[in-house]
Amino acid sequence: MTTRAEFLDRVRREMGKTRGLFPAESAPRLARPQEAADAVRRQLVERWPHALDRFKTEFERIAGVFHRVSRLDEVPAVLARIAAERGVREIIAWDPAALGWDARAALEPHGLAVRLAPAGGDEADRRRHRDDAARAPLGLTGVDWALAETGTLILASGPGRPRSTSLLPETHVAVFGPSALLETLEQVGMMLEARHADPALAGSGGAINFITGPSRTADIELTLTRGVHGPKEVHVVFVDGPGGAA
Amino acid sequence: MAVPVKASIMITCLGDLLFPEIGAAMVTVLRRLGVAVDFPQGQTCCGMPLFNSGFHEDAARVAARTVRLFEHAEHVVVPSGSCAWMVKTEYPGLLKHAPALRAAAESLARRTRELSQFLVEVLGVTRVESDFKGRVTYHDSCHLLRGLGESRAPRTLLRGIPGVELRELPGADQCCGFGGSFSVRLPEVSTAILDKKLANVEATGADCLVACDGGCLMQMAGGLSRRGSRVRPLHLAEILAGGTPP
Amino acid sequence: MSDPILATPFPRRAGAALKDDFLQEALTIATTKFIDLRKEAFATLPEGDALRDRARAIKEATLQRLDHYLGQLADNVERLGGHVHWAATAQEAREIVLRLCRDRGVKMAVKSKSMATEEIHLNEALEHAGVTPIETDLGEYIIQLAHERPSHIIAPAIHKTKGQVADLFSRELGGQFAADPEVLTAVARRELRQKFLQADMGITGANFAVADTGTLVLVTNEGNGRMVTSLPHIHVAVMGMEKVIPSMTDLMVFLAILARSATGQKLSSYTTLVRGPRRPGELEGPEELHLILMDNGRVRQIAGTLREALYCLRCGACLNVCPVYRQIGGHAYGYTYPGPIGILLTAMLEGDRSVKDLAHASSLCGACKDVCPVRIDIPRMLIELREHLDRDKIAPWPERALFGAARRLMESPALFHASARIGRWLQRPFVSAGRVRRFPLLGGWTATRDLPAVASRTFTERWKDLR
Repeated sequence: MTTRAEFLDRVRREMGKTRGLFPAESAPRLARPQEAADAVRRQLVERWPHALDRFKTEFERIAGVFHRVSRLDEVPAVLARIAAERGVREIIAWDPAALGWDARAALEPHGLAVRLAPAGGDEADRRRHRDDAARAPLGLTGVDWALAETGTLILASGPGRPRSTSLLPETHVAVFGPSALLETLEQVGMMLEARHADPALAGSGGAINFITGPSRTADIELTLTRGVHGPKEVHVVFVDGPGGAA
Repeated sequence: MAVPVKASIMITCLGDLLFPEIGAAMVTVLRRLGVAVDFPQGQTCCGMPLFNSGFHEDAARVAARTVRLFEHAEHVVVPSGSCAWMVKTEYPGLLKHAPALRAAAESLARRTRELSQFLVEVLGVTRVESDFKGRVTYHDSCHLLRGLGESRAPRTLLRGIPGVELRELPGADQCCGFGGSFSVRLPEVSTAILDKKLANVEATGADCLVACDGGCLMQMAGGLSRRGSRVRPLHLAEILAGGTPP
Repeated sequence: MSDPILATPFPRRAGAALKDDFLQEALTIATTKFIDLRKEAFATLPEGDALRDRARAIKEATLQRLDHYLGQLADNVERLGGHVHWAATAQEAREIVLRLCRDRGVKMAVKSKSMATEEIHLNEALEHAGVTPIETDLGEYIIQLAHERPSHIIAPAIHKTKGQVADLFSRELGGQFAADPEVLTAVARRELRQKFLQADMGITGANFAVADTGTLVLVTNEGNGRMVTSLPHIHVAVMGMEKVIPSMTDLMVFLAILARSATGQKLSSYTTLVRGPRRPGELEGPEELHLILMDNGRVRQIAGTLREALYCLRCGACLNVCPVYRQIGGHAYGYTYPGPIGILLTAMLEGDRSVKDLAHASSLCGACKDVCPVRIDIPRMLIELREHLDRDKIAPWPERALFGAARRLMESPALFHASARIGRWLQRPFVSAGRVRRFPLLGGWTATRDLPAVASRTFTERWKDLR
């Protein structure tokens, strides 16, 4: 089997035979990614209504369903309606620390059974959660960021915020507020650089998913169908005001 | 203009042996515009067939002789986008190991233009006096369009003729299937591509198909006449020269 | 590894494709749609050209420090708890996967679409070793059931009609399914959901690997990429080593243009950033992550003719605009990668001799270069491959002799014009109204097209009167 040293030696040997095709640079690195990220956040404190408009337009363009409420305590009613319209009685949700609010406490009064992902656990917990997630017709999450220019939801995985919540159920609902909004992919890059540079966050979560609309394919005669393996529907509930999830 | 512009014609192999009427039309048009036209003797081919099939040493020899043939020409005008491309973009590279020839090739590259580019860029002409009347559709040949970045000059010149009704060709930028030796190495594929092109041509209802390349014209004329089409294939020069076609 | 399809010479394979009416219609519809979608997507991206320039520069800059970035990538993947393997050849890559399967008792592996695994024929090797590979990308699932190879880099089953898919599913899965894409998609969802949940291993490729964070990036639409990398215990990613890029900031440049080039979407439905195996406290995610960095002919091109082909993002845009691909489809090419870039990649993986016909399967129109998100000059490299075939005498000697004779004609005006006179004489029995309808030596042309006659007076001869 080839070792790392052998492989890289071979690469170096070939590299030594050429100067390359033209002078080229990769993207300039941010010297202080945290500061850049903070600057973006500050900018968006003012610009978020504009970003939200753009987000809604792009999100709906890719078949996302957009809802908006003024206060966090209005969210459960919206969720209950979405569930009722689809005959959904059981949902799977991020835990309160991840979501920023307690889904179980908020939704059980509306007659919905809420399963949460336990943080940590053994193989038995894992199996049980997997069955819950596979069975639940609706998954409820927050977001780390919402990208306006493409209508994309960005979710990092971690304890209490498993990947399957936004993947296995047929309907995915994401709740967030102004502080999650970003305008451009470039800004997303800055956030990711900053996250990586922050030792507290750098190790969190084995996956970050950019979700741009429902699961789709056009593999059969280029006819678009939704809900191939992932959700058929993606909803956003945007919360303007206090208690907006972030 | 006190001193007339002097232009030397690079007739191209196809232009010399198969389509002399194109060269004659070019002479007519240039003289009408006050250009002093000459024709350096001893021309054969620009060598592109050798180059495209990978015979680069042979192509370099042909390039060297062509460079010498035209070393005293002020302007070189070519009725073919592919030949102009060959001279302008490939000659210097082919002669890179012979510094004097390479410099001469770079000079030739600067002095050489395809006909429509010469008329518009050097002479500043957009309206040519021509009595041509007809419904015309224009095919963008690949080397003129993509190799030399030219799609406007021919259309500008066509629109400048009162008797011409220019109908845009759907898929004008799609290859006609010639590709030099490709047309005989893979004749069935070449013909299938040509059939698509000619179906588009006929759908325009034009009575005349115009192009700025001998190879494309040979391919498209060959298909049009085989299917007994009434569409006449003509070179841009022939439209600009006007008069009763032979 | 020789595909039986290669027993038939390329021109015949192309000819057969031309006569396949289903295929012709499917190709026209699919490629036209992709072309329109891409055009629209770039029309709404004013900075598109600048981004393409930047993307190309990032790829070139990465190659110029490739050893550094590969080392950094490996260090970071390992720091996050993943394992890195180095495969010089396709065989080594297969052996690494098989060893992992043996050691971990893997019986069934779910796969997300990966051209790298197609390239090394991984599925056959797994099956031989008693491991069942299940393709989960709908198009790949279809062709796996049909025992076929993909015919397009991003839409592997575009050569199949919905009727053919319905028959296939009915036959292979048992049942009666309507020729309705919604129905068939739902069937696939149901069948494959079970496999995801039961599989011992998930196998993917990677669109990018970000060196400074040890992140693998998967760009997908269906959700199977996410399933495959979060449900099974082990995740194995097979990746061409040239897919490494320096940073997250660089990644954003590629994400901005990749989906637009491939399908016209601003972003694909899912972009998954995989950063090592499951973290402590996470319920989901693989316990083990293995990244196999593969050479398989790539390293040699760092200083080779096909260096630029290492920039390729595998978006498929060049296939959609290629007049040859649009006529013959992917299978006729005979190798894993079809279309314009496919010819270059085939030469890279299998050597120059493998493209002795394919290098000429191009009219050099340049449409591919026009749409390539990283501006790969494919026509130039096709010409250079042709130069190799001549230089190395792989091109047949009659061809070399013919072009040698042509060169002599071009160097001698006397010979050139003598040949015109000979042509005029030879064509006499065949000329009518200035056209030649058939001619013995040029049957390839005259089978379907007329030829212009050699002029009774060449331009050179007429110049005396014109001057």
